[in-house]
Amino acid sequence: MKYLIIASLFISLFVGTACTKLDLNPLSSGSSANWYENETEITMALNDCYREIFWFKDDDFNTDDQIQRALQSEVTGNTITGQSGTITNLWLNQYKSISRCNTILASLPRALGTISAAKIDQYAAEARFNRACRYSTLITHFGDVIYTTHVLPLDSAFMVSRTPKADILKGIYADFDFAASKLPTTYAASAAQRATKGAALAMKARIAIYMGDFATARDAAKACMDLGVYKLYADYSTYFLATTKNASESVFMMPRSVALNILFTPYYCQQTVTRNAGGYGNQNPSWDLFCSYLCTDGLTINKSPLYNPQQPFKNRDPRCTKTIVEFGTPHLGFILQPHPDSVKCLNVNTGKYVTNNDARSNSQYASYTALTFKKAVDQSWTTYKIDPDNVIIRYADVLLIYAEAKIELNEIDQTVRDAMNMVRARAYGVDKSAVASYPAITETNQSNLRRVLRLERRMEFATENLRYMDLIRWKLAEVVLNKPSYGMLDPADLRTKIISKGLWFYHGIPDFDSNDLPDFTSWYNAGMIKLLTPKTFDKNRQYLWPLPTTELLGNKNLTQNPGY
Amino acid sequence: MKMYRIILGDKSSWTKKLRIMKLTVILLLGSMVAMSATTYSQNTRLNVSSKNASLIDIFRNIEDQSEFYFYFNKEEVKSKEAVSVDMKDEVISNILDQVLANTGLEYKIIDRYVVVKTKGSADPVIAMQTLRKISGKVSDASGATLPGVSVVVKGTATGTITDAEGNYNLGNVPENAILLFSFVGMKSKEIASGGKSTINIVLEEESIGLEEVVAIGYGTIKKVAMTGSISSVQGSSLSKRETTQLSSALQGTTSGVMVTRSSSSPGDGASIRIRGITTIGTSDPLVIVDGIPVGSIDDVNAKDVETMSVLKDAAAASIYGSRAAAGVILITTRRGVTGKTSINYNYEYGIEKPTAMPTYTRAAAYMKYANEQKWNDNGNVGTQYPVYAQDYIANYAANNLANPDVYPDVNWSDLIFKKNSIRQTHSLTINSGTKNLQTNASFSVDNIGAIYDNKGYKRINARVNNDIIINKYIAASIDLSVKRVESNAPTVDPVGVTRQTAPVYAAVWSNGLIAAGKAGANMYGQIEYGGSIQTWNNQLSGKMSLDLTPIEGLKISAIFSPTFNYDKQKNFTKAIPYTNYNDPNTIVGYIGSYTTTSLNEARNDGFFHTTQFIANYVKSLGMHNLNFMAGYENYYQTYENLGASRDAYELTSFPYLDAGPQTLRGNNGSAWEYAYRSFFGRAMYNFANKYYLQANIRRDGSSRFDPKYRWGVFPSFSAGWVLSSENFMKNLPVINYLKLRASWGALGNERIGNYPYQAAISFGSTALYQSGTATAVTTAAQTQYAIPNISWEKTETSDIGLDINVLKNRLRLTGDYYMKTTKDMLLALQIPPSLGFDNPNQNTGKMDTKGWDFEVTWNDKIGEIGYSASVNLSDFKSKMGDLGGTEFIGDQIKVKGSEFNEWYGYKSLGLFQTAADVAASPKLYANSKPGDIKYQDISGPNGVPDGIISAQYDRIRLGGSLPRYMFGGNLQLDYKGFDFGLVFQGVGKQNARISSTMVRPLEVAWTNVPTILEGKYWSINNTAEQNLKAVYPRLSENAAGANNYAMSDFWMFDGSYFRLKNVSLGYTIPSSISNKIKLQSLRLYTTVSDLFCISHYPKGWDPEVSVTGYPITMNFIFGVSVKF
Repeated sequence: MKYLIIASLFISLFVGTACTKLDLNPLSSGSSANWYENETEITMALNDCYREIFWFKDDDFNTDDQIQRALQSEVTGNTITGQSGTITNLWLNQYKSISRCNTILASLPRALGTISAAKIDQYAAEARFNRACRYSTLITHFGDVIYTTHVLPLDSAFMVSRTPKADILKGIYADFDFAASKLPTTYAASAAQRATKGAALAMKARIAIYMGDFATARDAAKACMDLGVYKLYADYSTYFLATTKNASESVFMMPRSVALNILFTPYYCQQTVTRNAGGYGNQNPSWDLFCSYLCTDGLTINKSPLYNPQQPFKNRDPRCTKTIVEFGTPHLGFILQPHPDSVKCLNVNTGKYVTNNDARSNSQYASYTALTFKKAVDQSWTTYKIDPDNVIIRYADVLLIYAEAKIELNEIDQTVRDAMNMVRARAYGVDKSAVASYPAITETNQSNLRRVLRLERRMEFATENLRYMDLIRWKLAEVVLNKPSYGMLDPADLRTKIISKGLWFYHGIPDFDSNDLPDFTSWYNAGMIKLLTPKTFDKNRQYLWPLPTTELLGNKNLTQNPGY
Repeated sequence: MKMYRIILGDKSSWTKKLRIMKLTVILLLGSMVAMSATTYSQNTRLNVSSKNASLIDIFRNIEDQSEFYFYFNKEEVKSKEAVSVDMKDEVISNILDQVLANTGLEYKIIDRYVVVKTKGSADPVIAMQTLRKISGKVSDASGATLPGVSVVVKGTATGTITDAEGNYNLGNVPENAILLFSFVGMKSKEIASGGKSTINIVLEEESIGLEEVVAIGYGTIKKVAMTGSISSVQGSSLSKRETTQLSSALQGTTSGVMVTRSSSSPGDGASIRIRGITTIGTSDPLVIVDGIPVGSIDDVNAKDVETMSVLKDAAAASIYGSRAAAGVILITTRRGVTGKTSINYNYEYGIEKPTAMPTYTRAAAYMKYANEQKWNDNGNVGTQYPVYAQDYIANYAANNLANPDVYPDVNWSDLIFKKNSIRQTHSLTINSGTKNLQTNASFSVDNIGAIYDNKGYKRINARVNNDIIINKYIAASIDLSVKRVESNAPTVDPVGVTRQTAPVYAAVWSNGLIAAGKAGANMYGQIEYGGSIQTWNNQLSGKMSLDLTPIEGLKISAIFSPTFNYDKQKNFTKAIPYTNYNDPNTIVGYIGSYTTTSLNEARNDGFFHTTQFIANYVKSLGMHNLNFMAGYENYYQTYENLGASRDAYELTSFPYLDAGPQTLRGNNGSAWEYAYRSFFGRAMYNFANKYYLQANIRRDGSSRFDPKYRWGVFPSFSAGWVLSSENFMKNLPVINYLKLRASWGALGNERIGNYPYQAAISFGSTALYQSGTATAVTTAAQTQYAIPNISWEKTETSDIGLDINVLKNRLRLTGDYYMKTTKDMLLALQIPPSLGFDNPNQNTGKMDTKGWDFEVTWNDKIGEIGYSASVNLSDFKSKMGDLGGTEFIGDQIKVKGSEFNEWYGYKSLGLFQTAADVAASPKLYANSKPGDIKYQDISGPNGVPDGIISAQYDRIRLGGSLPRYMFGGNLQLDYKGFDFGLVFQGVGKQNARISSTMVRPLEVAWTNVPTILEGKYWSINNTAEQNLKAVYPRLSENAAGANNYAMSDFWMFDGSYFRLKNVSLGYTIPSSISNKIKLQSLRLYTTVSDLFCISHYPKGWDPEVSVTGYPITMNFIFGVSVKF
């Protein structure tokens, strides 16, 4: 008996651990059942919309502005499929954000009473602004997509079909209009700077112009301009640097921060930084881009008497050398000189001459076009940890959208030229009124002005991820993306065929087509340049991207875009 | 007339009693029964006092006080009336005189034996012989002496037990008697005394037979009584494999257990699948160590394993209902033995060497291929030297000699990978037992090197198992084990990148400084100077149990087992600046893009505990044998993770947070909990050890499900029929044993994350401007779709099995056929991405697995050579049922009707040979050229071939990817002091794929070119005949991703292999020599693992290795084992 008592004492020791609770809730995450009930929770849910992952930007590598040595992208190689990571990530991320916005919108009424109706409207406006931006990205890339303004039950999600993009566009407009009517024009400096009325108007103008709805684009852009809160940043070069924060040109942007580990893609830095400065020097300007910059007389290089092919950086629109490093000038601590005979180059910090790895005679992977991007690039890029603002839309874009819409509507008036001249004059560092200091636009003919505008956009927005959508909506993709990209001959050939004939750095003046797009075919046929990569753009299918295969799998009501 | 022995309770230990029971078995053969005692002086004064006691009780009382043995015929004694006696301080003769006075019985005291018999009947044989003394020593095959061995004169009660040195002394042994030596776990041996006075004897370990005791859930069972499918493996055969991780040692040991490794990286284990795949989620078996579930089988040191049982079918496993769907592995660790004290020290030194390493081209060839690839991609126009000029290549070798900095030719694999690595293990085992306390303590240290620098693995294991016998009713055990693993590795895994790096990039400049590699991608620099990831895993686990035996046959146990995990990690990534070869003072960039030195630390701690109450009752009623078990189990687990970091360290030798700047700090934390509770029971019944029935039931509740869907019930039933015990079989002398088994049962699974039914809001962070600066704000979002009614996944298994022993039990066969059906499978349902959530887990889907296991074992002896051989073979095939609309599509698919992970891709028609062929054929890649892979146009949107190859319409199922006909086998020989073992293992059939990593050259136009490609790829420079024989497509970056390396049957090959897993040879120094140097035994041994493998894999590739991972290594191990 004594032992039984001992034993039961012993067992009772275990009893504390013998019956642990089975109703366990997540320890380090919240529960959606009781979320969205107060201002803090709603704000936190809205904060999620401002994560960079949801703000898709098109890759300039898919355009004629950029080369990466002899590589093709999925787009320029015409290999993109519904299984491509680009497609599935883009799609899923947009819908994640849409679903979260829809959840917030559905939950907001629950908070009525704890939060004022005005605040609820403002939060709803923020959610709708974000949702409209997501759908804008979707319809511009996929055409008709799945459109829903509430969270679908699982069963019906397997049965949805595509809504025509024209109908979605109406929803997008409604969201932007609501947002514009309820969002503040500015926030108090001490408050978190969230989406504004101007952002809603600017993004509405952008989707409208992308969809060819010029009247809406015009009106939205005009309304944004009329707010009077945005202005062009004085210096085109420094605007893009990480040191320029929260500029008034940035109509909608999100900050990055090294301290908070919210970085601009390190890999992009590495791809862009020259080989002398320790980067890969892989992501470089194409000759197409370089040749598209006008001369200071406002003419294209094939027409301007100011253009000297042996000094191709001279007398060009200032944005040329602010975007592409001029040979012989310092860049990231070294004098950039890709000439194959420049086997040494000056390290401007030490004053010593070092091996020039940006010349292909020393490094076979130095820029294949000899060109290097300068725009936005400064010494901080060599750390690969930089935090420039993530600008989604800036005022120059609003101005040029306004101009483009009016041109397309053939409402060409001084406001059109003013908008374009503001942008161009800023590049020259002057006011638009200083017409002697820059080639002010005076053109009145619709088709001529259209060409001027398109060149202006190309010069102004190079590297800003806008070129692909421009090519798509202008239907120029089928032209430029069927042209190969070209680069310099290899050093030995280059010396015999180009340098020895005094032609450095390239052959001369290229041909231009009716769209002011340079064409290097004749140079190539003459054996003076090297073909880097053929490109293919199938106009029958590639204006739209394929829907993700996973979306189509379980759903009989969905069809793939043609040609995929 | 039947005689039997009464088992008496006495003051000696239970273990001793076990030995006495052995003695009992012997006595049954004779006609008399004895009781044990230790004091037999006839002058010893005894106290006997009892009222109306039976004679037997009185004899027992006397035996308790003395060393007298009573001999009597039970029937005779039992029939006598009870007597009352009250005598104090009397000698035995006086007591017996009184007690037996009116019984018609008489007694006779011979030495310490008291023979009680009917008056006038004949004396037992025992007293009629001439008696003599015999002594000797008993040892085991290794020469170690065996204490506690029972030595009995056959047919008599005369017997003794060997002392701590294994010596015995027997007096009163009749002339020509037969001595019978027996000991638990050893084969009994009979020796004719033949008039000798000294008999030394060696006992051999009992071969695994029907009497073997096998661990089953919450108990043990004799193999003969098994109705479910259970395989058991002796710990010694696992530790002989000399793997550091127990999981790897299992490979090839048991039928139906698929063990796959993907690397031999120090500390890496293997994946274990019992009877194939049962679910799309986790198919890892549940591992139970000494009754307690553990996280990983590799938490146990192979050297501590006494036995391991693999519960394969539902009948065997369903007592673990909840988490047993993927099978259960039960491990028991070594425990102390009474009366046996030994210290065993073991040292091993091993050399590891990759079984295979792929090779890559050197500079000249590399440049040639790079040119060809680029020329192909440029449409074969322009120069044929588009990347490297002709004279550049021609002069390269000479230039390399003159200036290797400008013209490098580096064999990166040779530079980074060493030819071999070293491992060492020390282990010490102490075993000691007194009658109340038995202890087994083990301690081992492993130190394992790697084939590249800055990588290593150190492990310390210690375990103490104590059994305490408190008294006749209460016993307890206290086990404690500690594990510490310290591992060190470079911040990046160098294997894949090293092989990729082309030879034309320098690793080190001739001035000794780190070179740029390929624009900063320099794996050599990174592993040598790039910092390290150091990990410390500490685990402390204990187990306390208390066993009560209130009445005979009933055992109640209470068990509590806590485990603490504490893991620590430091990832110190150092910025390594590099320079140009001719300008050592200017930093050009940083290796591996790490421009700053940063420290990331993690501290994760976990606590789990298991509490069990188990009652077991065994009862025999005549021919009916019953065994009941009922139990309760509670498990709780909690984990909390903590991370902290700083960046931009100025110093690279202080991997501590304080040494970094305060501005670039980061930290993170998370936590979770999990609990389950179970009630379970088992009933086993057999009639006459001929017909066996068993039923199990378990009810489990898990915190992972909503209270409404929380509980699952998992029953199982099984039956066995020993045909060989039937009369009609007795005429077949060839068959010694034949049993049929059948079982059915249900098992569960819930391994799907901790809160799947809850729509959790997860937190993140982003930034917004506030007062002009980027300010962190917290984000909150529901990322995963929640399915509130999610509940248990259930797997039902049916099994029929056969066990047969023939040829005097020398040949044993076991075979099983099984069918498993998994229903309500928990799988990440592919929801439409447009729903905007990550895929949720859902009870959907069904899959079936059918398979069979087969095992044959042969044991025999030829003269002094003992040998055994066994072979096992198993196969399974899993078919997917309705997956609730979900499909898993990739290079491997899981869709309704497909196999589990069946290959899925295009059907190839070889390589395009001519431009005309390309032009006339449907294409996947619009710019295909001759030398690209040609595919078959299977279908199109309208169900007929549409003239283009598309992912949607032209991919088909290309056959299962899983291994089939897995086999294993071993051979053991022993002769005198030598022992030899050989183990092989392999896969009989597998559709394998040549991964593009193995053969794709010049990826992204710069990676290295595998030498296996040379002369075997389609080239525009080849003749048409040569190209017809090409086995690899043309060199083209553009066509590579878009066409050639897409999944197709072009890349499939026969993946079967045969591997000589392990060969071991040991020699035990004869005890005559080892005793002279005061050792119990001394054994020297050597083991070679993974010595060779026959397969169709491309040269340089091991069938098991992961293509970018650490290689599989062969081990050469030399060991010495000393026992004091």
